[in-house]
Amino acid sequence: MKSKLYIVFRLNEEEYGIEIAYAQEILRMPDHLTHLPNMPAYVEGVINIRGKVIPVIDLKKRFDLKTIEESTERRLIILNFNNTLLAVVIDDVSEIVNIEEDTIQNVNSIISQLGQNCLAGIGRIEQRLILLLDVLKLNTEIFAYQFEMEEIK
Amino acid sequence: MIQLSGLEECKIMMEIMADLIPGGVLFGIIEGNTIIWTKASDSFAMDILHVGQKLENSTTTMKCIQEKRILKQLVPREVYGKRLKIISIPIIKDDGDSYGAISIAIPNLHPVAASFYDFAPILTEMFHEGACIYLTDLQKVAYSQTSKKLAVSFVENGQELNEMDVAYNVIKTRKPILAELDESKFGIPAFTANYPLYDTENKDEIVATMGIILPKQTAGKLRNMSKNLEDGLTNISSAIQQLAASATEIHSNEQALNSNIKDIISISEEIDEISVFIKEIAEETKLLGLNAAIEAARAGEAGRGFGVVADEIRKLSSESKSTVPKINKLTQNIKRQVEEASGKSSKSLDASQEQAAATEEITSSIEEITIMSNELGKIALVI
Repeated sequence: MKSKLYIVFRLNEEEYGIEIAYAQEILRMPDHLTHLPNMPAYVEGVINIRGKVIPVIDLKKRFDLKTIEESTERRLIILNFNNTLLAVVIDDVSEIVNIEEDTIQNVNSIISQLGQNCLAGIGRIEQRLILLLDVLKLNTEIFAYQFEMEEIK
Repeated sequence: MIQLSGLEECKIMMEIMADLIPGGVLFGIIEGNTIIWTKASDSFAMDILHVGQKLENSTTTMKCIQEKRILKQLVPREVYGKRLKIISIPIIKDDGDSYGAISIAIPNLHPVAASFYDFAPILTEMFHEGACIYLTDLQKVAYSQTSKKLAVSFVENGQELNEMDVAYNVIKTRKPILAELDESKFGIPAFTANYPLYDTENKDEIVATMGIILPKQTAGKLRNMSKNLEDGLTNISSAIQQLAASATEIHSNEQALNSNIKDIISISEEIDEISVFIKEIAEETKLLGLNAAIEAARAGEAGRGFGVVADEIRKLSSESKSTVPKINKLTQNIKRQVEEASGKSSKSLDASQEQAAATEEITSSIEEITIMSNELGKIALVI
């Protein structure tokens, strides 16, 4: 049976999962971000990780979730798509789990009308539901704003 | 001197006068050396000078006859049991020779003794606890009067004097004696005074003593009470001193306890700081574990072993992290308990201070009472 490893993290009370294959690193939230002008609200700015400038996306803002409580354990997950790096802000990483593919419920079949939906499906671990993100879709969507990495300096 | 011719008139006079003289009298007529006639007043109780009795030449009466002059003689108690005053008047015949004598014997009673039963009853009732007044001659108690307030009389008429008696010593020393007597003499404490009485004519001769015995039961009780009070106060005072000493000890112990409690609070604060540090380490370890897992996943099959280690690291971090709230809960608990203890200890501290103040008040009150008790003792001595 095929299964994949997911990094599980929280946004408010909900748990989300990202395929570990897309993850490069988890970091503490840096004290300082460099903000960018004329950007959507969910673009927090850019950071410098070991000489590379990486855009930072606040997933809660991106998903229109209200911040219930400012977590002291906010983290950055650095995602890697073919050497394109993206940092997402999340509320605390819980664990790394193995989810079997056939336990994943496809969301698109339930609410197929919803475009721009980054959800790949919903995984179940006992009673917990993990919202699995389609990282590629997320990436495409975000880079639809056409970050020109070279211009950001 | 009386003329023999007037003797009959004298007899008549003596018959009449016998019962007029207070204290009694005995008249006698002596012819030569023989008593030929006597007349005694009814109150004259002595059985002396009988008709027909012959007088010795050495007697004063015989001397009076021989010397033809009036002679007075004081007869001491030893002779007839009572003191007598005898006056002898010679009787002269017409030719100037001695015929005999008229003897007048008068009991020689001391004025105090004579009026004893007039004043003594009044006097004995004048004292708060009653009194006993008595008169002694040189050998025994002659008169006594005891107040109605007294259940027992301290002296009895006819009681022989011995060296234990105050009167005996007054006669012996010829000086008044005033003395406090304890219970051993009369069963109750008493004050006694005794004065010598001198003969009215011979001022140097002690003929009697007058004494008074005042029961001092009230004063004695008062004195005992004052003594007991003083003893009790002394005991209380030393108990209070112990109390004060232990209060001081409690006070210093409480102060030490208070500072210990503060130490505990600061220690539990240090524990809290350490637990914050543990939490940080746990989080760091967790990140390390997560990143190790990511690295292992990227390494694919080759990273599988590393993935297991990463998993263990994550578990370890989560376990360490879960101890932090437990520690915090414990330190919170410690703080709460310690604060409660501190509150109680502060109250004890206040209470021990109040106790010290109260002890001081008690001590000063006791001092006042002690002074009063001393006063009481002094008063008991003078009443």
